[in-house]
Amino acid sequence: MKPSTVKIKRMPSRFKHQVPKYKVTRSAACINCGTCAKSCIYGVHERLEGHNKMSVPIDYKCIGFECENNDFYCVKKCPRGALSISLNPMYETLGDYRWTADMITGTWIMAETGYPPERTDLEYNTGNSGGGFDKLRLKFPKGHSKIDKFEISTEIPLNRRNDGRANIVISTPVYGGGMSFGSVSLPTMVSKAHNATLWNTFTCTGEGGYPDLLLPYSDHVITQVATGLFGVREETIQRVKIVEFKYAQGAKPGLGGHLLGEKNTESVAKMREAVKGTSLFSPFPFHSVYSIEDHKKHIDWIKEINPNALVSVKVSTPNDVDMVAVGSYYAGAHIIHIDGGYGGTGAAPDIAKKNIAMPIEYAIAKVHNFLKDEGARDAVTLIASGGIRTAHDLVKAICLGADGAVIGTAEMVSLECVRCGNCESGRGCARGIASTDSELADLFNEEWATQRLTNMYHAWNVQLVEILQKFGMRSVRELVGRTDLLEHIDYSK
Amino acid sequence: MIMDNVEKITQSRAEICSQVPPLNMNTEEEGGCGVTGFICSIPVTGKNIFEPSAQMHNRGNGKGGGIGAVGFVPEAMGVSRQVLQDDYMLHIALLDGSVCTEIEDTFIKPFFKIDKSEKLATLNDHRSIGLDVRPPDVMRYFVRVKDDVLDKFIAANKFESMDRRDAEDEFVYQNSFKINTHYYASLGDKKAFVMSHGRNMMILKIVGYAENVVKYYKLDDFKAHAWLAHQRYPTRGRVWHPGGCHPFSALNEALVHNGDFANYQAVNEYLKQRNYFPLFLTDTEEAALLLDLWSRVYKYPLEYLIEAMAPTSEMDFDMLPKDKQELYKAIQTHHVNASPDGPWFFIIARNDVKNDQFQLIGITDTAMLRPQVFALQEGEVQIGLICSEKQAIDATLISLEREDPRFGPIADKYWNARGGSYTDGGSFIFSLKDTANGKELICTDKFGNVIKTPKGKVACDVAKRITVTPEFKPIEDKITALFAVSDYSATAGKIYDYVKDNIAGFNPDTLRFCIETIKGHAGKNDDCKQTVISALTLLNDHRFNTGSIKRSSLQHVLKLALDDIFDASPAITEITNSRFSRINFASREKLRAPKNNERVLIIDAEHFEPEGDLCDAVMIVKAFQLGWKRFIVYKYRGQRFTGCGFGPSTKEVRIDIYGASGDYIASGIDGMEIYIHGNAQDQLCQIMKEGKLVVYGDVGQTFMYGAKGGTAFIMGNAAGRPLINAVGKPRVVINGTALDYLAESFMAGDPLNGGGFVILNGIGFDDADGSICEYDSPYPGSNIFSLASGGAIYVRDPHRKLVDEQLNGGEFIEITDADWNLIEPYLKENEKLFAITIERLLTVDGNKKAPQEVYRKIRPLKAAAVKKDDDGLEE
Repeated sequence: MKPSTVKIKRMPSRFKHQVPKYKVTRSAACINCGTCAKSCIYGVHERLEGHNKMSVPIDYKCIGFECENNDFYCVKKCPRGALSISLNPMYETLGDYRWTADMITGTWIMAETGYPPERTDLEYNTGNSGGGFDKLRLKFPKGHSKIDKFEISTEIPLNRRNDGRANIVISTPVYGGGMSFGSVSLPTMVSKAHNATLWNTFTCTGEGGYPDLLLPYSDHVITQVATGLFGVREETIQRVKIVEFKYAQGAKPGLGGHLLGEKNTESVAKMREAVKGTSLFSPFPFHSVYSIEDHKKHIDWIKEINPNALVSVKVSTPNDVDMVAVGSYYAGAHIIHIDGGYGGTGAAPDIAKKNIAMPIEYAIAKVHNFLKDEGARDAVTLIASGGIRTAHDLVKAICLGADGAVIGTAEMVSLECVRCGNCESGRGCARGIASTDSELADLFNEEWATQRLTNMYHAWNVQLVEILQKFGMRSVRELVGRTDLLEHIDYSK
Repeated sequence: MIMDNVEKITQSRAEICSQVPPLNMNTEEEGGCGVTGFICSIPVTGKNIFEPSAQMHNRGNGKGGGIGAVGFVPEAMGVSRQVLQDDYMLHIALLDGSVCTEIEDTFIKPFFKIDKSEKLATLNDHRSIGLDVRPPDVMRYFVRVKDDVLDKFIAANKFESMDRRDAEDEFVYQNSFKINTHYYASLGDKKAFVMSHGRNMMILKIVGYAENVVKYYKLDDFKAHAWLAHQRYPTRGRVWHPGGCHPFSALNEALVHNGDFANYQAVNEYLKQRNYFPLFLTDTEEAALLLDLWSRVYKYPLEYLIEAMAPTSEMDFDMLPKDKQELYKAIQTHHVNASPDGPWFFIIARNDVKNDQFQLIGITDTAMLRPQVFALQEGEVQIGLICSEKQAIDATLISLEREDPRFGPIADKYWNARGGSYTDGGSFIFSLKDTANGKELICTDKFGNVIKTPKGKVACDVAKRITVTPEFKPIEDKITALFAVSDYSATAGKIYDYVKDNIAGFNPDTLRFCIETIKGHAGKNDDCKQTVISALTLLNDHRFNTGSIKRSSLQHVLKLALDDIFDASPAITEITNSRFSRINFASREKLRAPKNNERVLIIDAEHFEPEGDLCDAVMIVKAFQLGWKRFIVYKYRGQRFTGCGFGPSTKEVRIDIYGASGDYIASGIDGMEIYIHGNAQDQLCQIMKEGKLVVYGDVGQTFMYGAKGGTAFIMGNAAGRPLINAVGKPRVVINGTALDYLAESFMAGDPLNGGGFVILNGIGFDDADGSICEYDSPYPGSNIFSLASGGAIYVRDPHRKLVDEQLNGGEFIEITDADWNLIEPYLKENEKLFAITIERLLTVDGNKKAPQEVYRKIRPLKAAAVKKDDDGLEE
């Protein structure tokens, strides 16, 4: 359920024309009678007061051919036959196999409306990658569920160690991944944190310091301690409830962090206390940690600085990720965060994204089962990330054994990222998300972005609750490890 | 076909290797661990490996511990000296007691002449010492191979060309291999395995902490010349037998290992090609097998073996003499694919039967990724020590001193090895040989250079009563006179000067009397006490000629005096008008805000935990929150995190640290000052923001990693990777040198414009007279200032020893007046702290030079991207 702080409000696109699936063509035969504007309930057509002519159709709002059975279908309604609908050739250029155009469009609709799309022409729950979550389906039981939606809890606890540290419960089993100031703009960071606060969940600073604008949201911010230690100070560790060690990223394991000189602007350099305009590298290991007992010492250190905080350990998914996870548990971590190979923005090299880490769906099950065999599963929270794109991915990850998920790209898409993959080049993002350029970073404000994120989280939560209801479950915690509720489409009977 | 002996040995194993079942290729996962070892000129008891092991609990997790021992006393073994020297000591761990007879009947009695066999004595109940898993019963057999058996073995394998003893060694190796294959590797439920089978040595291991081996097998009073212990940290939770624990052995050695190989599979292949089949699935076993292959089968001298383990590379290789380069190139060509890759550090205790000596060897990997400390104490008895942490060395020495007062609690020399280097080869070897005067310990590096401590100096016997003679009167009078003042501000300095200037004429009794007399004044009032503390601390910290007395012994005498003074301070439970209040582990709950005149909280750290809620560092933070600002912490034994957790803005705080301080000190500090009166350990000053750290000794690994600012003064050396990824404005003086990778990815702006820098002096102190001497090179490492984009290094390099090859992205330039004006105040402070004068630093070969002739500057090559100050899109 959504916390009372969450308010859903329509928050339309920043752009009049998104990349639409359909092209609505108005021919010269149009007499500007306005019939279409009156009939279309989606607002594709506008007949603005005081204008001589109809506005250009707002294509992206059109639901396409499935409309033809409706009474209000504009093509049929038009007295002059001036309207026609076709597939928009530009749509094919949007997205990729993992993040299909439909999935991006679906996420945009969620961010705009706060609910999953009602149209049925978008396959937004799964992508077209030919593997991973895209090959898994949920097996719903037949018949009607007796569970009332309002009874269903989506809360999960993050501290299961019973060690006297903060007992943190988040309202929805999702939180925002670490994206540093430098890799993304300040409004992006602040809106992520604001949304996390509204949703009673978390977001993470990434490795680029803790901007003061995040201070009001400190109870819902995770301070990341990564290998470059950029911007990490005692007070940034002390002011938060969770500290995350980033050992590696699934998108680029063994490659460390990397911010190219162009994005290292005055303000970024100041925050990191580095030299402006130079490329900033985070080493691939922690040079203070070359073994498990160093790792324990490292965790002990953070626990000494902040006696109340939980410690999350983010690792990528090498072959022995199960051992790494259990080692982290014994070293005192509260949260094991495994980051699989599907994630990553444009800044991670393709060769790394596509080839290094283990697919997250294998890793989750491997770690979950290993922790169970060790008798440690109940004492640690397992969080998965790296390619969790949709509410369905989230549910699949939980069925495989995770307690919850961390998302990155889905949040960016809510802010109208088009997955162009140019995050690292020049001054960054054409859409002002992954940029610290003073002009680009002004392309949207925090209020707009926060609402978009809140809406998207809400839509996911709505979907999650619906799924739990269908499964007859009262809590998302019942879903953990239920691989029996999944089927692989290549092998299902 | 003519085969050499190596081929014959390898071939002879074809049959037994073919019987090894297919094994899981996954290694047992474990990370680093705690390792410790020492070797003494006299046999010492197992008690002494107990303390350092217990100190390194936090380097293991109680799921695996082991000890190795070499060089026993025949009487304690119940055998003759001859049998002890000549027989193999077969130690078989029985995980399932029922196979004992079968093993004896099948693998022992038919082949061996048994001179003695026994079951090792144990405690009755393993749970009484907190062990969850019952350690295996261990059978010990003193054996020689029967003549006829050996004859047949030699004939069958055409071993006639080799030494008969070598053939016997190989028989023992193969026989144990068969036992391990049969009762261990081929079974789901392991039943038994050979722990060790070398001569005059043994290995014991359990599922538990290493020190419990000593307790369980009742080794407290059991004596050996060399001891080795390992705390294991397997990441798997449930372990039911100690098969995978360290030490590992192939024949006459015990090897422990901290780290893990990245190339386990490659080494595995290499070994299999030579008919060595690892059976225990850990990289440590591989290391032991490599050692055996290279030393026993290939008969490489130790130097070659070390080169094969840790190849010399980069500039270090170029610095080698030509003939060494050729030799090493040949070794590397043949064996580099078996050189362990990744972080590792080995300690090996071995019975070097060929050369009739016992040895303790430490080898570090080329990149020095694991912590390591070596130490040496000489005198009436000698001891060499190798550990993961210095505090474990100190714990060993303290324990030994209790057993035999000829040992002192402080070593004469502590140092690190520089992995794969041309300077020391990354390895040191302590060899214990028989001489006319009994056993003598010699320490050498990989190249055979001998490491010595000053000769002809004596230690004080602190247990003895001081015999006061009339000659002591003038000393007493002088000290009394120094205290007969109304203003004490200069007194400490005068006392220090007095002792320093007169110690050359002191014998142990005079010195002890002098220090006792000074100590006596501490009771008078708080000013006197502060003066005494300051004076004794100065004597401890500074380097000067200690005359006929060992510096380590002077430090011991001072430590005892200071501990007494601290101990005598009013307890926290009392409320007095004293400036000092003392708290310890027992009274920690009584912590309160300072009252009346109280200003200094003295913390007896002895019984605090090294980390967690019961760590003294946590209590210090609470004390700070209650209003305490001045702290003295003493009797440290490796506790970590001192100064961490105070939060921002702690300008008025000062912490003085005595004893064996731990890791992560001063990490994250923002304004406070920390003085470490001795060597410091690893990971100091991580993310330090502001404040000051002073270390009267060396610092360990990754010093100031990710630091943002602050100043630090290091009297001695830094280990690997100091100031890596540091940004902002840290300003550091390192008087010695660094092992390697100094200031990698340094990003500390422009030093002339508020940014950070390192001053590297490249000097050390003469062990004999405490005078300042120059190192051969101020920085022998292959990498300095690599990939740095900001900051600078000012290196004292009058002979221009540093070369472009050591840089990767930096450049040398002459220093300007502006540079000198920038660094001079830091050198002045350095002079004040350590008595290392600028005058001396600018003196080269007896001649005073200009700063420009002595110091060089290293700065980033591409003067940090010149950019206009705007973030807009100017295109």
